[in-house]
Amino acid sequence: MFKLNKLIISASIAASAALFMTACNGDDTSTAGASHSGATASAVAYTNGKAVIDGGTTYPVINGKTSDYVIDKQAESETFNYGRTPTANEIAAWDTDVTHIKLPPEGSGSVEEGEELYEEKCVMCHGDFGSGGGGYPSLSKGNAVELQKTLTNQRFDPDADGPSRFFGSYWPQASTMWWYIHDGMPHPMTKSLSVDETYALTAYMLNINEMVVDGVEVDDDYVLDQEKFAKIVMPNVDGFEPEIRGKDGVENVRAYFQVASNFGGQKVNPSERCMKDCLEPTAKATYISGTGISDFLPPMATVRDLPKAEGGFDAKAAYESNCAMCHASYLAPGSSDWKGYTAHGMDQVYAKGIAGTEGGMPPKGGSSLSDKDFKTLVDYMVSGK
Amino acid sequence: MSNKEIKNSQAEVEVSNDMNTQLSDRRAFFKKAALSVGALAGTGLLANEHAASGEDDPFIMHHVKWGQKLGDPVTKNRYGMPSEYEHNVLRRNTKLLASGNFQASIAVTPIHESMGIITPNGLFFSRSHGGVAHVDPNEYRLMIHGLLEKPIVLTLDQLKKYPSVTRTHFIECPANGGQEWRGPQFNSLQFAKGFMSCAEWTGVYLKDILKDLGVKPEAKWILAEGSDNSEMGRTIPMDKVMDDAMIVYGQNGEALRPEQGYPVRILLPGWEGNLCVKWLKRIKLSDEPFFAKEETSKYTALKPSGKAIQHFYANEVNSTVTSPSPEIPWKDLKVGELVEIEGLAWSGMGTITGVDISFDGGKNFVEANLKGLVLPKCWTRWSYTYKYEGKKIVLASRAMDDAGYIQPTIDQETLITGIEAVYHRNGIETWEVSEDGTVNHMQMRSTLKRDETGKVVIDKEAK
Repeated sequence: MFKLNKLIISASIAASAALFMTACNGDDTSTAGASHSGATASAVAYTNGKAVIDGGTTYPVINGKTSDYVIDKQAESETFNYGRTPTANEIAAWDTDVTHIKLPPEGSGSVEEGEELYEEKCVMCHGDFGSGGGGYPSLSKGNAVELQKTLTNQRFDPDADGPSRFFGSYWPQASTMWWYIHDGMPHPMTKSLSVDETYALTAYMLNINEMVVDGVEVDDDYVLDQEKFAKIVMPNVDGFEPEIRGKDGVENVRAYFQVASNFGGQKVNPSERCMKDCLEPTAKATYISGTGISDFLPPMATVRDLPKAEGGFDAKAAYESNCAMCHASYLAPGSSDWKGYTAHGMDQVYAKGIAGTEGGMPPKGGSSLSDKDFKTLVDYMVSGK
Repeated sequence: MSNKEIKNSQAEVEVSNDMNTQLSDRRAFFKKAALSVGALAGTGLLANEHAASGEDDPFIMHHVKWGQKLGDPVTKNRYGMPSEYEHNVLRRNTKLLASGNFQASIAVTPIHESMGIITPNGLFFSRSHGGVAHVDPNEYRLMIHGLLEKPIVLTLDQLKKYPSVTRTHFIECPANGGQEWRGPQFNSLQFAKGFMSCAEWTGVYLKDILKDLGVKPEAKWILAEGSDNSEMGRTIPMDKVMDDAMIVYGQNGEALRPEQGYPVRILLPGWEGNLCVKWLKRIKLSDEPFFAKEETSKYTALKPSGKAIQHFYANEVNSTVTSPSPEIPWKDLKVGELVEIEGLAWSGMGTITGVDISFDGGKNFVEANLKGLVLPKCWTRWSYTYKYEGKKIVLASRAMDDAGYIQPTIDQETLITGIEAVYHRNGIETWEVSEDGTVNHMQMRSTLKRDETGKVVIDKEAK
């Protein structure tokens, strides 16, 4: 092992020498005769002489082959003109990304409106004030600037707090949140929020993360618009490496992955790899604590027999697969929570379950059960048996 | 695939086949049949004509039940299914690996049952962020726009007109093994290492499409975006596009399965499965990256410095013992008998050049043997024929690739990356094989701490 540690350092030298040699990517195919034996430094450069961006190997075409695959030379040389030019409207309809250099469309929304929307469309999964729950992601655990400081936390002591990787404390760009809310949320019916609603929900996200934008606290009266959005600076904007923004972004990535120690890699000359006494003297056997995680679906089995005859509809299994994620804590099977719903008769409970609710439950909980089986499932959830 | 689905599809075909057989074959059959097969079939196992004693295996001495009655007609199972006896070979999931529901979740491959280097399509691991989308191929469109002279829209048929390319590559979720940074949690090979699969992919080199579209020199990145519920998108550098990125529609000789992005996904050989965007709808060329949700909030690897690695593309060199496994331990071995220890090795950075095996948890190694096809960014089989000694051993494997990387020990890896990285863990894994052949997942690791300067070091006083 100690041999290995020394070798990491020398490994990247040859490769980094290949950096910045030529300009554009991959359009130089005049490499016939170059060798690509894995052990040499040239093996880790593209045909244009640049180091491979991920720190790995590339396989230039040599004698008509890339590694063991024969290349179709015509495919490389002929011109193919398939498809058609998209219209401006078509491009606009799909060109919906929002980034650090591409603002959302003009519009506005307030924290207050955002909170209302959140209560209506988001809280059932993301919890009160974005606190999470049922396995769905938390959106805030408090003050973004304070929680950003927890990112150095490491649970070497199993009882220690881990790092807080939430929107406010971790995400480098607010554009990511706007874009994702607009195109990827709410989860059961995405791409259903207007531009103004997206501003409102983004404003609420800034609010529950106790953010400050351009010196102004995002309080309950705050109204977010495009101009203010452009001024949001996330507390962890510089918390990532390598730096990918700007004209050197790609070259920063390339340089980063040439240094194995940046990302925990180990380089070695195969003939010098450790074969004896390769563990630290302090390394000891660490076993799974208790039974570990073993709630596998379906349960682990390797027996070769005939599948058991299909019984009737298994409501409990259907609950586990379709409902348990949301209905484990509230309205769980047999829970007294159901009393508020069953008072109006089971037919109403069935009907709401089949149609879905404004509270965010998708029709039939997102399952593809028949109405009959779904009703059996509802009976199970109300009664617990 | 569920048993119910197997049964249903078989039942459906059976009904139509029965009718078919009755209508066309029945008369001819009875005319030609010399024996009354029907009479024999009802009697179960019939002794054959040879003498039998108690030592003889009844499955040899008797006609087996499938050996006398007619089997299925070829008209049954128009799409073939595994033997019903294989019904436990399944993708599995667990609640821990779900972001709330089983739409934003993963079901992993039973690699303890995998053979060779190809994963059958029905067992290929399935990960989605808003459920598996069911795309109508007639409504499918792929748009390529941004920093190029000639933006285009392609239908699926038009995409398939380009000269096709076929390559065999694994796809691995970078969270494979990511639940075990702080210690082993799964006594299961399927869950410890099964967030990956390997297939033969058919499609088009993206560079072959782009070369005729006038890519502008300032284009440094692309966005690949899915059309699913979550519009999963990722930024990819043009370097990869001009190297080996493919737009694929074929998987092991047939169309992609919905779980793998039917009808079209992008395949970035060796790179994070998450980057290989499924249900692909849009490619946009840009001079700046996109900061998509799954390359900021997730799929970034936090280091002890508090900085996180972003754009951590390649799945690094890795390996595991696949036989024995916690699921399929050694049984019925006699001391002195030979037994094959088998495993997989893979690297997203290149081609596997060697695998070493250890019997003492990674302290000392000997060389194992690679076997079969050894291809870039592809599962590679390795094996070692071991003489069983009837005593406890602790198996560990360590792979190397042609980019010059070797798998780190857990200590080597965690001293640099800490234990909160979630993604890209490739430290050497260990399986303890007891005297009775049972297998338990364990790890060989030191306790870490921070020294007074904040540096992560081994805690030498740890109990």
